[in-house]
Amino acid sequence: MTLQLFDEFAASFSGGNDPDLREFMARAGDEAAVLAQLVDSFLSGAEPPAPAPERVELMRAWVRGEPPLLELRKRRRLRRQELVKRLTELLGLTPDREPRVAFHYHRLESGLLEPRSVDRRVWDALRQALGADVQAIAAWRPAPIEAAPAYRAGGPVEVYSQLRPESSAAAPEDAEVDRLFLSGP
Amino acid sequence: MPNAADLDDSQLLAVGDIGALLARYEPVIIGRCIARLNGSLDAEDVAQDVKLRLLGEFRRGKRYGDLPYRVIVHQVIGWTIGDHFAGRPTDVSLPEGWEPAPSGDHADEIVGRGWVEWVVRRVSGKDGQIIALRYRDLLEPGEIAERLDMEPGAVYQAIHRGLRKLGELSRA
Repeated sequence: MTLQLFDEFAASFSGGNDPDLREFMARAGDEAAVLAQLVDSFLSGAEPPAPAPERVELMRAWVRGEPPLLELRKRRRLRRQELVKRLTELLGLTPDREPRVAFHYHRLESGLLEPRSVDRRVWDALRQALGADVQAIAAWRPAPIEAAPAYRAGGPVEVYSQLRPESSAAAPEDAEVDRLFLSGP
Repeated sequence: MPNAADLDDSQLLAVGDIGALLARYEPVIIGRCIARLNGSLDAEDVAQDVKLRLLGEFRRGKRYGDLPYRVIVHQVIGWTIGDHFAGRPTDVSLPEGWEPAPSGDHADEIVGRGWVEWVVRRVSGKDGQIIALRYRDLLEPGEIAERLDMEPGAVYQAIHRGLRKLGELSRA
């Protein structure tokens, strides 16, 4: 079983499909450690497949000190208000709760929210809204800002500290919404 | 031995596109951290620290001569995971003057040669050939069977024999 799982993982990785190793380890059960060892060996010497162009752009944005989630939203040509509205709908919340969702989403996009505290339903909704593994991207902690960026596409640099802060006064506390963003999976 | 991918990496490094380099190696970094930390939720944090260290080394102007960039990546992964298990902070830069150094175990050979070549040297004969067709050429077992005029079942058994031996070698 373990060898079959390794075979499946290795073939998927080499094919550029970004397999979820934790899922494979869960399927391996008691043999998870053995599978992990085989995968570690494999990854030590495997040639990584070429990354998707979007992934490269997100990483370049991160290197420039820009929030990768913001870059992803910009690439989708979505205003924050539109995304928040969609997120609110996908979470099954009423429109009057949008301000609180907006407050938390702003913090998430700015790298001010611990990704581990965010409920799985939020990640699933964002994946649907943005068509990407947002959870993985949100885990990229801010890179230190360099005075002379090594690589830029042009345009003003939006650094984390320069983002306009969302006022919590306009978004009164809401226990249900707060739980989605602050309580963990 | 440098390969075509190593040359691509060298060019990216030369033009300063560290973002493209990190994007290329990110799945490997995260995968190895998850594997070595046995699935712990800390793995992504450690992986992020690996990326930050690689970025830091790049910004310090560190280049490593003819050493392929993938060797640097795997050394920083090993160093950072070592810091994690030893309880040392990983969200700090590598020590001033840090230089890659061989670890002395089979991991160096895997990184240096590539996993498939490392396997083929250890899994002899047809089994090694089958492993190469499966994981280098990405052929399905049915395709391998057709190419080598074998029964598909025999191909599966060869793959399993080879991987079983690898499992023993990895634990050694």
